[in-house]
Amino acid sequence: MDVEGASEILSRLRDVLRDSAVEEHDWDAVVGETPIESLGFDSLTILDVLYDVEEEFGIALDPKQVVKTRTVGEIIALLEQNGA
Amino acid sequence: MLHFLEYWAARLALLGVDLLPPAAASRWAAALGSLWWTADRPRCRVAISNILRAGVAGDRRQARAIGRGAARHMGMVLVESMKSELVLDDPERLRVDIPDDVAAVLEDPDRGLIVVSGHLGNWEIAGQWLSRYKPVAGISRPMNNPRVQELALSRRQRRRFRMIPKYDPDPGRFLKLLGDGEILALLIDQHARRGIDAPFFGHPAKTHTTAAMLHLVARTPLTLLVCRRTAPMTFELSLSPLIEQPRSGDRDADVQAIVRTLNAHLEAAIRRAPDQYLWGHRRWR
Repeated sequence: MDVEGASEILSRLRDVLRDSAVEEHDWDAVVGETPIESLGFDSLTILDVLYDVEEEFGIALDPKQVVKTRTVGEIIALLEQNGA
Repeated sequence: MLHFLEYWAARLALLGVDLLPPAAASRWAAALGSLWWTADRPRCRVAISNILRAGVAGDRRQARAIGRGAARHMGMVLVESMKSELVLDDPERLRVDIPDDVAAVLEDPDRGLIVVSGHLGNWEIAGQWLSRYKPVAGISRPMNNPRVQELALSRRQRRRFRMIPKYDPDPGRFLKLLGDGEILALLIDQHARRGIDAPFFGHPAKTHTTAAMLHLVARTPLTLLVCRRTAPMTFELSLSPLIEQPRSGDRDADVQAIVRTLNAHLEAAIRRAPDQYLWGHRRWR
């Protein structure tokens, strides 16, 4: 993974999370190793975030791939694989 | 105390359903529905107010008649759901209208489907019929009375139909089900605290956005299903052609467009059978 590219994606991802999330969270503390389950999303709130992430990066994610991710780093890798 | 009474009323109703043949059980349940209409005055007032607001009755007398009919209908839904095999296994009792595009999805084991309905006709039979094609997960919130909830869950005939909670702590739960080619079924016509305002019978009503968001994010086809009673233990089940909403980049606008379409479809179906709708819910708050 390109460290600089991943860092930029992480920064943009934090911004999307900050704008989309309903729950308060310290988004600046989110790093690649952060487990997704610790971000406080449920089966409904995650949908808003995924829509906004796809729009931010101009890509379409395969939901089957998304549900396999466990950490923010894995999401970033998925975004990179899809051309983000 | 109220929960206790509700639980034993439900037990009594089920006892009658178990002991009587289907036609008599249906009359028994309709009579209980009528009794409930007479006894639960606050709910009765809500129903009459909703019927008048929706404009499906010309005056208060007509609204009362529709409300009482709907209360009897809800009793019959209970019986029909318990005796659903009589309906599901008899093509004379269940006439089905499936558009070609929906049929193609139902017959493809790899494609998920979002099916939306309301508390109209018999949604339980509809769910069980759907599960002939694919496993069905019905998204629901728990009943207010946990004892009645437990009783209801233990008595429903299941086939491949199961209930799952609306707020699942596993964020990927719904996406995974759809990715596995299952059907996700939702009733969208109750007040949605976290929903958006969309017209329902000409008045803004807080409406659930889950079906719309799943359609947009999972890119899964979406349809509206109605299972209307045409005679005792006899139904007409129809699905809308697939509802397609291309993404515009404006999430709120996309969701609003889908929710409006769904509400319009459901409203039209309710107008065809207003005495088969659950009017006692405070839809407009």
